[in-house]
Amino acid sequence: MIDGSHISPDVHRLLDGEPGGSPEDRAAADRFQTALDTYGAALRLPGRDVDIAVMTAVRRRRGRARSGMFWRWLVQPQAVQLRPAMAAAAIIAALAVGIVVRQATLGGSPGVGSETPVMLVRFELAAPRAQTVSLAGSFNDWSAGEEDMVKSPATGLWTITVPLPSGEHQYMFVVDGEQWVPDPNAHAQVDDGFGQSNSVIVVGPRGVVRS
Amino acid sequence: MKPARMTIALALMLLPATLAAQDQLPDVERQLVARGAPVEWAQSVAEIVAAARADGLPTGPLVSKALEGWAKRGRVPPDRVLAVLNQLMGRFGTARDLAVGTGLDDPPGSLVAAAAEGLGRGMTPENVRDVIAAAPTPEAAATGMTVAGSLAAQGLDVAAAVRAVRDDFRNGRSAAELLELPSGMAALIGQGMHPRDIAQQIVRGGGFPGRGSGARPKGVPPTKGPTDIPTKARGRRRGNN
Repeated sequence: MIDGSHISPDVHRLLDGEPGGSPEDRAAADRFQTALDTYGAALRLPGRDVDIAVMTAVRRRRGRARSGMFWRWLVQPQAVQLRPAMAAAAIIAALAVGIVVRQATLGGSPGVGSETPVMLVRFELAAPRAQTVSLAGSFNDWSAGEEDMVKSPATGLWTITVPLPSGEHQYMFVVDGEQWVPDPNAHAQVDDGFGQSNSVIVVGPRGVVRS
Repeated sequence: MKPARMTIALALMLLPATLAAQDQLPDVERQLVARGAPVEWAQSVAEIVAAARADGLPTGPLVSKALEGWAKRGRVPPDRVLAVLNQLMGRFGTARDLAVGTGLDDPPGSLVAAAAEGLGRGMTPENVRDVIAAAPTPEAAATGMTVAGSLAAQGLDVAAAVRAVRDDFRNGRSAAELLELPSGMAALIGQGMHPRDIAQQIVRGGGFPGRGSGARPKGVPPTKGPTDIPTKARGRRRGNN
C-alpha cells in the first residue's frame, strides 16, 4: 500500500501542479505518481477479454429474450388489423385449395368435370297408392329420405325437380320408405352389382331428353 | 406483411388442405355408422377404400357404392356389398392399367372410374383404348367413356357407341357436347327408331343420326318439359318476362 502521510508538503504541491521544489522532491513526486499509476492499473478491470465475454453473454441473453418474446406473442391474445376484403380473399383461396386437394384425393365421378353446369331436372313417378316417394341416387349419397317427392292428388303423379351437374347419374325411387323402384323414363337401366338395377340419366349441357 | 397477418394467412391457406388431406377412412366410417351401419362392417369398408387409395385408385365411386349398398340393406346383405366393392376395385385396377398402357402416366380418377364402368357395361379393352386415343384430353376421355357406356346401356351396340363417341371427338366436338348423345338416343328411340338401326347408320359412316352436320336431331327439343331447363336459360327466360 502507498501511504501518502509520509509525503512532504513540497511533494504534494508538485503533485498538485504547483511549480517549484527541489529536484529530489520532484523525483519523489515522479516516483509517487508512478506508484499511483501502477496501483490504479491493478485496480482496473482486466481489460478487453472481460468486455467481450460480458457482451457475448448479454447478446445471448438478448437472443433468448427474443425467442421468449416470440413465444409470448404467439400465446398471448393479439390485436390484429385485417382488411375484410383481404381476409375474404384468403378464405376463398384456402377453400379453393381444399376443394382441389379433396377432389384429387377422392377421384371424380365419371363424366363430371370440375366446371360442370348445373341443370334442373324433373323426375316423375306414377304411384297413386304410395304414401311417400323419395329420390335416392349417386347425387345425394343414396339418402332415401333426402329428396321427398310431391304427389299431385289429381293424377297420382309424384314429382320432384332437382339441380344436377351435367354427367351421368344413377338413381332409384324409394316408395313408402322401403320399396326401391326404377324410373321407367330413365335413359337406361344398369346392373347395380347387387342383383338389381339402377336407373341412369345423362344430363347434357342443354338439359335432358327422355324417350 | 406483419407477422400476425402472415401467420393468419398461412393458417387459412393450410387449414382446408390439412382437412382435405386427413384420412378419409373416418369420414367413410362416420357416414356409414351415422346411418346405422355396424362399426365392424363400416371399418371393413374403410379398409377397402384405404387399399384403393394406397394403390392410387379412385375412392369416390367406392364410397358411393358402399353408401348405396347400405341404403339398399333390406335387399342386399352387408357381405355382398364388401364383395362388390372388392370387385369394383379390381376393375379399377384393370382400367387403370389399360389407361397407362395407352401412354398416360397418371390417368385421372374420373377416367379410371369411367373406364371401369364401361368395362362393366360390355366395352372391351380395345374399346377403352380407342376412346382414350380419340379424346383430346384424359378428362374428355372420361366423359367419352361415360357416354359410350350410357349409349350401350340404352341398347346401342357397343362398337357403334364407341364409334359415335370417336367420331364426335374427331369432328371437334367438346366433351360437354358428347353428353347430349344419350338424350339424342332417347329421343330417336322415342320417335320409333330402333337402336339397331341407329347402330347401322353409325357403323356405315353416317354418323349419329341427325348429328353429322353438327345440328341437333330434327324434331328433338333441347329439353323435355318446362323444368328440364338449364339454370342459366331459366334465368334469361325470367328476365325476359
